Amino acid sequence: MLQPVELHDFFITFFSAAMVILFGALYAMLFAWGRLHGRPKLVWWGYAAYAVLVVSVLTLADATHLTGFWTWLVVAMLVGYLVAPHAIWHLCEGTHAEPAQGEGDPRSAKAVPPRRA
Amino acid sequence: MEATPWWAREGFWAKTAIFVTALSFVILIWLTFDTMKQIMAGSARVPDYSVINHRISYAPDEARGYQVPKIGPEEPLFGKKLSEEEAAALVRKGKLTIQGRNCMNCHTLLGNGAYFAPDLTKAWLDPAWGAATIREQLMLQFLMDPTNNARTFGTGRRMPNLHLTEEEAKAVIAYLKWMSAIDTNGFPYNFKSIAQGGE
Amino acid sequence: MTRVGVLDSSNLTGGQRLAVKYFTVALILFGAQILFGLLAGLQYLKPDFLYGVLDFNVNRMVHINAMVVWMLYGFLGSVYWLMEDEARHPVVGLKLGEIAFWVLTLAVAVVVLVYLFVQYGPGDIKTIWFINEGREYIEAPRWADIGIVVVVLVFYFNVLATFMKGRFTGIGGVIALDLLALAGLYLAGMFFTPNISVDQYWWWWVIHLWVEATWEVLVGAIMAWGLMKTLGVSRRIVQTWLYIEVALMFGSGILGLGHHYFWIGTPDYWFEIGGFFSALEPIPLVAMVVHSLYDAGKHELKSSNHPALAWLIAHAFGNFLGAGVWGFMHTLPQINLYTHGTQWTPSHGHLAFFGAYATINIAFFYLAAQQWRGNVYMSAGIAGAWRWKWALALLSIGVLGMTMSLLIAGYEQSFIERAIEGSTWAGYFKAQTHPWFMQAMWWRQIFGWVTAAGYLLLVWDLLAIGAGETRTATQVGHESEQAQAGAQAAPAAA
Repeated sequence: MLQPVELHDFFITFFSAAMVILFGALYAMLFAWGRLHGRPKLVWWGYAAYAVLVVSVLTLADATHLTGFWTWLVVAMLVGYLVAPHAIWHLCEGTHAEPAQGEGDPRSAKAVPPRRA
Repeated sequence: MEATPWWAREGFWAKTAIFVTALSFVILIWLTFDTMKQIMAGSARVPDYSVINHRISYAPDEARGYQVPKIGPEEPLFGKKLSEEEAAALVRKGKLTIQGRNCMNCHTLLGNGAYFAPDLTKAWLDPAWGAATIREQLMLQFLMDPTNNARTFGTGRRMPNLHLTEEEAKAVIAYLKWMSAIDTNGFPYNFKSIAQGGE
Repeated sequence: MTRVGVLDSSNLTGGQRLAVKYFTVALILFGAQILFGLLAGLQYLKPDFLYGVLDFNVNRMVHINAMVVWMLYGFLGSVYWLMEDEARHPVVGLKLGEIAFWVLTLAVAVVVLVYLFVQYGPGDIKTIWFINEGREYIEAPRWADIGIVVVVLVFYFNVLATFMKGRFTGIGGVIALDLLALAGLYLAGMFFTPNISVDQYWWWWVIHLWVEATWEVLVGAIMAWGLMKTLGVSRRIVQTWLYIEVALMFGSGILGLGHHYFWIGTPDYWFEIGGFFSALEPIPLVAMVVHSLYDAGKHELKSSNHPALAWLIAHAFGNFLGAGVWGFMHTLPQINLYTHGTQWTPSHGHLAFFGAYATINIAFFYLAAQQWRGNVYMSAGIAGAWRWKWALALLSIGVLGMTMSLLIAGYEQSFIERAIEGSTWAGYFKAQTHPWFMQAMWWRQIFGWVTAAGYLLLVWDLLAIGAGETRTATQVGHESEQAQAGAQAAPAAA
């Protein structure tokens, strides 16, 4: 079941949708910057950006009538945007750690000696 | 430095990538089978080509909250009732003509195409034709000589003369009539149809 | 013997020589895209301009086809460019690859001439075979389709055989699998059906699964190689992230296909599937900001090719704005009901194609120009650096300006034509003649000219950059692999 956007909610729909992405990126940026340079204050500003994102998502949900099944989308967006930068940060730390001796995928390029034609 | 944890290793992500891709693709294939069944010509959503023998209208559906096509009493195109085979052949000709004349690089069909000229999804039902009774003739005249029958509504944009034969023009009209009977989930929204007899 | 600062083919390996041929045609087609875009744009403002001679549908068809083809040429060229270095083996079957290039280029030329001078044909199957298939983006007639498939198979043989004889790296593996999917998907667009719902269902398989899945992954793989070369990031890290990206892109992109199945007659469960996946699509895009910053912070941003790096940064921003912000604004079915088939689509399309694909191809053109002149110095303080900077600025401002203009037009159109007037033809024309719309079209045209100016400057710069420079490129990276690869992919004796 789909309830289209009301005429008077047009602008707010586009605007809040754009805000979701922009503040999602701002949060990710401040979060990464703060962690990278050891400045917890920036990370907190990042969470403030996330708070704006929450407001934007809820505004968007209200304008586009995200009820019923669509509530799950709202939840997924809220959780996804919150968790994803943490997850990517975690992955960055993990992948940039030096591999231990003899570790690594045997199929990876390193293990194969270069052959000549 | 500590060793790379398992969840950050190359091998783990290579496998994950393959798994995610394969799973998404399998789901897509499965959905494709179901969708194909539902959009075959002659299904509830995409009617048989012989629907051009009937009146087609676009009316609100309370349960779904938007308008859906309704197939009405017999109202053959150009006053001539066609057999199922004849109708299918005519619509096929219409589609071939629409592709051969590159209509989609000015118009949209079902909303896809270019935006220089109006959408054709409900062209058959558009009130711009004035009255339902003269619509077929007007469409035929227009398609065969769009330059001289142009109504540009202040834009100055005219359809070029693509030299359609009468047979091709009739086939295109049949195509547009058939297409207007496809259930497009309420697109275009809030559409106001041409008045047709008895409505 | 390397000759620094001179455009000399002996500075290139066999595969790279073929790559620059692809790049040259790509650049010419990029120009054609802009030229025909300008003509089509002008017809919005002066509808009688070329009426009956080169009508809007012809100009627009050449505009979008030139785009698809130049991007593919750029990708093919990039793969030829990196193949030998990556596989540590000269291209297997290079002669065949050369022939395929000329066959493809001849076919493209014939198709364009037919588009321009024959334009359309009668309503029968012969038109589809020989003139024009009449389906947006894949208008190429069937004979050309078959030709394209044959050429792609030759290309595929080059890729597979080279990687198999040399070494199969992770990047090589992703490229090989992705190209197979890319070629396979093309087949989904090669049949005729009168049923438009079925037609568009499969048509989107080609368009969406190319643009929002296989192209993205191909670019990811090419970029992974580029990052190793220009920033010296280690292979293990680059490949791990390539796999992460593949998982995220295919994971959200394949079922994201659903957002094209809202209104074409397909069942309404696509609302939920399309809405869900496309609303979640920007999350990885946004989260990747963390990764870029992390990388930039950990590695010193020391690049051996400043213009290429600048274009890669433009790629990151353009992709985020075009695909992320512009995509999400109109993707939910509750709003897409109004925006589908309006100027919203070209607004999103212009920025997304430019940001995601044009930028990365241009970055590769610069890598090629550098090598062609004997791995010439291209970092800070090169002569005539204003050219590449202004080319970047004008192209970016031009495309962004067109995007904003079309956004205003799209907003006005969806509001007046769709929401108020109820999507009738009268509503359509009312929206098209609204002052907002008309002004937006003028602005779009002006920014189109800005884009064209940027293009001319870009061509000039690519031809001139590094000329007369005697220094060689700054060394970056810690992988011994690099020096080795350089020696290994040494120019085949000409």
